[in-house]
Amino acid sequence: MIRWKKVASAAAIAAAAALIMTGCAGGGGTTDGGGGDSGRADRLTLTAIIGPTSYDIGAGAEYGNRSPFFQAVFDTLLQKNSKGEIEPWLATAWEYNEDNTVLTLTLRDDVTFTDGTPLDAAAVVGSLERFRDGTSPQAATLAGKEFAAVDDTTVTITQDAPDPSLVNLLSIAPGLIQAPSSFDDPDSATNPVGSGPYVLDTAASVTGTTYVYTANPDYWNPDVVKYDNLTINVIEDPTATLNALKAGEANGAKIVTNDTIPEIESSGWTIESNELDFQGLLLFDRAGTMAPELADVKVRQAINMAFDREALLQALQSGYGTVTEQVFPTTSVGYDDALDSTYAYDPDAAKELLADAGYPDGFTLNMMSTPAFQTTFDLVAQQLADIGITVNYTDPGASNFITDMLAPKYPATWMQLEQNPDWQLINFMIAPQATFNPFHSEDPKVNEYITTIQMGTEDEAAQATADLNAYLVDQAWFAPFFRVQGTFAVDANTNLEFWPTNAYPSIFGFSPKS
Amino acid sequence: MLVFILRRLLSGVILIAVISFLAYVLLYAAGGDIPRRILGENATAETVAKKAEELGLDRPLLAQYWDWVTSIFTGDLGRSWFSGELVTVSVANRIAVTLSIVIGATLVSAIISVVVGVLAARRGGAIDGSVQVFSLIGFAIPGFLIALLLVLVFAINLGWFKATGYIPLTTSVSGWLSSVTLPIIALSIGAIAVVTQQVRGSVIDAMSRDYVRTLRSRGLSANSVVYRHVLRNAGGPALAVLAVQFIGLLGGSVIVEQVFAIPGMGQLSVRATTLGDIPVVMGLVIAFAVIVIIVNLLIDLAQAALNPKVRLS
Repeated sequence: MIRWKKVASAAAIAAAAALIMTGCAGGGGTTDGGGGDSGRADRLTLTAIIGPTSYDIGAGAEYGNRSPFFQAVFDTLLQKNSKGEIEPWLATAWEYNEDNTVLTLTLRDDVTFTDGTPLDAAAVVGSLERFRDGTSPQAATLAGKEFAAVDDTTVTITQDAPDPSLVNLLSIAPGLIQAPSSFDDPDSATNPVGSGPYVLDTAASVTGTTYVYTANPDYWNPDVVKYDNLTINVIEDPTATLNALKAGEANGAKIVTNDTIPEIESSGWTIESNELDFQGLLLFDRAGTMAPELADVKVRQAINMAFDREALLQALQSGYGTVTEQVFPTTSVGYDDALDSTYAYDPDAAKELLADAGYPDGFTLNMMSTPAFQTTFDLVAQQLADIGITVNYTDPGASNFITDMLAPKYPATWMQLEQNPDWQLINFMIAPQATFNPFHSEDPKVNEYITTIQMGTEDEAAQATADLNAYLVDQAWFAPFFRVQGTFAVDANTNLEFWPTNAYPSIFGFSPKS
Repeated sequence: MLVFILRRLLSGVILIAVISFLAYVLLYAAGGDIPRRILGENATAETVAKKAEELGLDRPLLAQYWDWVTSIFTGDLGRSWFSGELVTVSVANRIAVTLSIVIGATLVSAIISVVVGVLAARRGGAIDGSVQVFSLIGFAIPGFLIALLLVLVFAINLGWFKATGYIPLTTSVSGWLSSVTLPIIALSIGAIAVVTQQVRGSVIDAMSRDYVRTLRSRGLSANSVVYRHVLRNAGGPALAVLAVQFIGLLGGSVIVEQVFAIPGMGQLSVRATTLGDIPVVMGLVIAFAVIVIIVNLLIDLAQAALNPKVRLS
């Protein structure tokens, strides 16, 4: 009996302790208290849906949903403001030569890395080369470029042909500058050395789950740092994210399930949003080598007419997003509102077009599916069936979805794709060698527009981009359904200016409400 | 005894060798395009190929496995392909978290099961009836549902505990309690239901045995008979069930860790397996195997201590 009493009293102590500590249970996300200098708040706590693969920029530098981790500890050469415009950062000035093949950057001279080594032209060159020669997802964007340190504060980037995306690239992952002193350290994957606004507290962090940062005391631009501490918790489960919000354990959270928005708003949170990705069909086999039917533009146009985009948006995204028929984003110089009403939902007209093209009885189209998006695949098959196209789905397994898509093993596929800035977008899904042009579709007119965009003046490039966009819609290279709303929630204590061009907000976009 | 332990440890090592090989082959077969998964859709084919080479994925399976085996003996389990963290660090960090919850849940369920099981067996009637009903309910409700309910009531509405995340014991005792209490409760309920039934059955069974009648006829008090003798005999089977439960709870922790966003082995297993992070999965396989082998060994030793008739051979 005595033993049981001991156990019981131990349990009682534990229970009592549990009750005593309840006062501080939900205290993870407070922004009150103006601790620190310059009116900073104490801590900003965010949730993200994915952690960095490696802090070594040669192996893992990435923006998108991984941007806050890199932005916290590294600086980029240039910076994007909340309107998406490029501004000076580590580089105070940048200028092209006459034929746009050499970009000269002037660097600040007052920046040091957190290990005390100076950030100079040599360090910038070393970092850019490391990115170019490494295996980060965007490594290829710097391929073929040469970097040189002219003097301590001047760097040149030389390329064979103009790259209209270069300046933008220097404001995201390729422009991240890592201390060369950490290049040979295998621990740089988890222990970054940069010159950024924060320093990773490796002792308090759990790699892959919790990242705790403290403000860099020697930061060259202290005015933009609004918090003494930054915590980013990686929470993959949408329900757990919602629970963290409701329990007050975060100031800001990336929301991936848009149907939870009403619930989040009713809990007193503010929703900030942008639209970066589009969902729809990629009609890859435009030459008809695998599916001869797709070679006929009438067939591709008929496919575009088969979809009730409003209904799809409602069914798949609870209405959060905007229907579209073009792959260029609203931020593009080539975007044209009018193009979004090119192919009204009209199954009968679609059937007529198919009959004109010589397929009065329709045909069978092989596409890929994956269980995570089963509803989408069912709806797509149903809408195509309505105009006589029978979809034959194959599930390649989630891990092979993109590989098989790009192999290419299917003439067309459903996909959610990023709408990058123009030149990146063109090299991502339109140019003959673009990753998402796996059949290497080519069209003399498309090539001509691309050349003008690369080589022409700013005005010529803008016009060519608009023409290219209109041409791709007319030629029905894609069958986009809608742009998906990217959603971020912030609590009542926090202001946020959401970047229009990245999946995750800039860490400089957050500020405490006074 | 020593020979027994050594023998068991040796068979454990062989078991780990077999399991690790099978795991490696299966992961490899199910792997798909891991470099593409690491790099995402933005990477070009050239970058993907370069990554494959960097990870050694372009080499034959057996060569990769052999490298993994030989590096184990130097204590090097490699680095995660998806976070760059040393696998030994990754696994070590998370073992404490998972064991906090699983050992906590095992202790809680053992204590409650013995108390309630004995009560139901001795009192019978309405008490026994309600214990039976609650066991059935506890057994039937899925763990994740209990976890979600607990979060809603005790973390979000009442604010008594943390809804997500984990605070190490070394950082703050109260913080640790606030982060593990709900997961432990969520994990315990199913186990309590099962073990209570086992204890109840064993006690009822033992009470009808001849030795109990003999003890009673000697004038020993009912409490003394139950707690000093019956429980000792009923303890063996209950312990065996508890061991199975412990191993089951390791699996159950996967869901609970997801719901509470706790960085434990379960969460890591799900992430590493779905991503194809082979170094991490292999590290976890070894860690899980070692835990299971040790638990089984300890249970055998405890069985022997409880009941000298159980021979260790």
